[in-house]
Amino acid sequence: MKAPFSEYLKSLKPGLKQLVSILSGHYEYVSVLASDSAGFRIIISQHAKSISNQTLTTERGIVIRVMKDGLYSEVSLDSFDPARAEEAAASVQKDIEQQIAMLKASGTEVYHTGRLADEPAELFAEMETVQLPEKADLQSLISDLTALSNDAMKRSSDLIDFRIAAQSTHICKLFLTAHRDLAESYVYSEGAVAPIGVRGQRNEMSYQAVSGLAGPELFAQLKDHALESIRIVEELLSADRIVPGEYDIITSPEVSGLIAHEAFGHGVEMDMFVKNRALGKEYIGRRVGSDRVTMHEGARCAVNVTSYAFDDEGVMAGDVTEIDHGILKTGICDALSAARLGIQPTGNGKRENFEHKAYTRMTNTIFDSGTDRLEDMIASIQHGYLLRGMQSGMEDPKHWGIQCIIERGYEIRDGKLTGKVVTPIVMTGYVPDLLGSVSMVSGDREVFGSGACGKGHKEWVKVADGGPYLKAKARLG
Amino acid sequence: MLDTIIELLKSSGADAWELTDTQTERWEFYFIRHQLDQNRTVKTEHLSARVYRKTEDGMLGSASFEIAPSLSEAELKQLIDAFVENAGYVRNQPFELNRPAAQTEEQEALPSIERIAQDFIEVMRQLPETAGEDINSYEIFTSLKTARFLNSNGIDVTSVYPSSMIEVVVNARKEAHEIELYRMYESGTCDREGLKREITRVMHYGRDRLEAVSTPVMGPTAVLFSTDACLEIYRYFADGVNAENICRGVSQMKKGQPIASEFSGDRITLRTVRSLPNSSANAAFDAEGAPVHDMTLIREGIPMQYWGSEQYRSYLGEQDSFLAENFIAEGGTCSEEQLRAGRYLEIVEFSDFQVSSLNGDIFGEIRLGYLHDGSRSMIVTGGSVSGSMADFVKEMRMSSAQCQYDSWLVPALTRLENVRITGIAG
Repeated sequence: MKAPFSEYLKSLKPGLKQLVSILSGHYEYVSVLASDSAGFRIIISQHAKSISNQTLTTERGIVIRVMKDGLYSEVSLDSFDPARAEEAAASVQKDIEQQIAMLKASGTEVYHTGRLADEPAELFAEMETVQLPEKADLQSLISDLTALSNDAMKRSSDLIDFRIAAQSTHICKLFLTAHRDLAESYVYSEGAVAPIGVRGQRNEMSYQAVSGLAGPELFAQLKDHALESIRIVEELLSADRIVPGEYDIITSPEVSGLIAHEAFGHGVEMDMFVKNRALGKEYIGRRVGSDRVTMHEGARCAVNVTSYAFDDEGVMAGDVTEIDHGILKTGICDALSAARLGIQPTGNGKRENFEHKAYTRMTNTIFDSGTDRLEDMIASIQHGYLLRGMQSGMEDPKHWGIQCIIERGYEIRDGKLTGKVVTPIVMTGYVPDLLGSVSMVSGDREVFGSGACGKGHKEWVKVADGGPYLKAKARLG
Repeated sequence: MLDTIIELLKSSGADAWELTDTQTERWEFYFIRHQLDQNRTVKTEHLSARVYRKTEDGMLGSASFEIAPSLSEAELKQLIDAFVENAGYVRNQPFELNRPAAQTEEQEALPSIERIAQDFIEVMRQLPETAGEDINSYEIFTSLKTARFLNSNGIDVTSVYPSSMIEVVVNARKEAHEIELYRMYESGTCDREGLKREITRVMHYGRDRLEAVSTPVMGPTAVLFSTDACLEIYRYFADGVNAENICRGVSQMKKGQPIASEFSGDRITLRTVRSLPNSSANAAFDAEGAPVHDMTLIREGIPMQYWGSEQYRSYLGEQDSFLAENFIAEGGTCSEEQLRAGRYLEIVEFSDFQVSSLNGDIFGEIRLGYLHDGSRSMIVTGGSVSGSMADFVKEMRMSSAQCQYDSWLVPALTRLENVRITGIAG
């Protein structure tokens, strides 16, 4: 079925068009993004359960962007009466003028930015889904997930909890300017199982997730991950600490995705180029990885949680080749940064929600597959680790440092897995060294969309990343 | 609209309910160097509710929902009815909602949002920038919030408070080599002098980072925390006495039992308090309407009281507690001179220092540190730290002097012994 576009946004549209028209008489550029995204989130634990209609991306509100004399200003509102567009326009102007008066009084200079392109475009995209979160049978879902948690608890005496999270969101967005009229509707879902085990004074947790451009039907897949997650938590409870040092490593698709995201995801967000905050600006056309490294980024380059039709600035979704056989080709860019850099935007202007500013943000960030086999990769290592499970990462676009916190490593000696497991692992290094050391790439690849990404320490948005198994060298601690 | 929601909740068939109405006016300013990149205003009302249903088997069901201010009365009723039904599917052990308390909110006179914003803009232009160290960019967020909480037990309390945040990126350069340092400061209003002092210190770190060499390979080493990275350490202790973590078995701390089998360093004392100067978290009531007061959570390494939500506190029988926001980690017994003795690595910049509340594991990439060994000092960068608080707590030492980071007042210096360092240079 098609995910139906919001009736609420349809009802606002005539008034919003009038608002754009009125404000266009006062400003050089006017756009409106209106959002109405509904969803649910269920948490099942042995200690408490909860249900709510809030996920990271549920929202209802509008953001109005205007430009005058080279300055872009925005007003975010949680309600809009389509019958009172003139009143709303006057209120928007008043709010902006109040700020500008204060800024002028304090002698603030403006970073002048040109007028955004407003090429005519129309789109009405209702993407396919099997179920809608609004229509989900929550009683059955809670019952099934509770049974899954209860059953899992019987599988290991180490477990003190088997936590399950399931959330699904129906995104509806409407973008209007004088010449653009874009509407999209899609559903994405994500779920995770997280057993917590205790042995003596030691606590460990494992985390296995599913995600996709899909409805609540996706949560049936959680059952397939339950036993594996319990096996992993038992491994972690008896795991050793790693001896710090540089090792040959093989990254699983999940860890490869984390590297893609932290290394050349953040590193080529081009709003950072405008501020001279990214070293990547100076490396376009230069080698940043081995011949085996090719990386794509864009809402269109995979089907997952952030595969939208257009971004939050009304730019159509893209598919950018960031690294081609080790050579850095280009970055990703929001509309305002593109105007400043004199390039075309790539469809990566995203907001946490209507209350937040748009920045250059990632969507799907993915290493291309190669032709190697995992067995051959393991066989090629004398002493190293197969790294699986990601916990977190941190970018450093200015210096190309990388920090990845990885759940566990499986020791490899003389071309074979020894059965020894180490946890946790801090992988650090210099991005070109890490990518330059990639010597084997597997033929398969996976994409994961269960995480969220911040800009600095705020502005959380959904992202997906992934890739194949990669063989490289890295410093582990 | 609030009155309509209250009436609908009362007639919904819910056995109990809670309602929060948060109105926010926010001004935002984004600067590249000192030029204005963008200005924004945000005016929103967030209405959120939780409804409860007693079930036949003696359990208590609950469901939470956000209410868009644009909903019609018919849509409101439909939403509330749906979530009252959903509450019946989510069954938990019963617990009591908070009841009205005699405490009252002491409302301080607040500056205007315009004044707060102007203070931030002005102070950013008064920094001692040079050709070698300057401000790359900054983002200013100033809010005035009015939060009203009501529940079916008769609580109806309102807090009005300012909440501010500034994100600052500092550059330092030497010839063609340029580095950056990132900071995010939260507060109630703008602490002009404190902000200027902090950013000036960061500029000094920037100068040093230009001179840094790769962190050498070394064995277990003492690490000294002298910046806000130490908050992760103190959050680990606060999380350890959080009622939810206790109930879920995530924390193994227990009232009356020392958090370590032996102590050769300082024993932590952690308190939560009603207010701290210019904290963004000062309020007389918590988010569930419980009165906030001063309370000792851990005394001399021994848990005394749990804090957290009414649900988990109720499960533990903690009557007189709440969702704590302001914390004080008492100073230790050491002078700065004592903590800076011998060989130690003082790390002032991490890419993202973390302490796991699940098992105390620490990790973080070193962006700037000072390796001290007697009279010699080396500026280092790269590599990482790891280990576990379960081990470090036995020998942890803290300065008697304290410093405040928004809602945390903590020892100015914290020293952990025998931290694993993954170095780079041989």
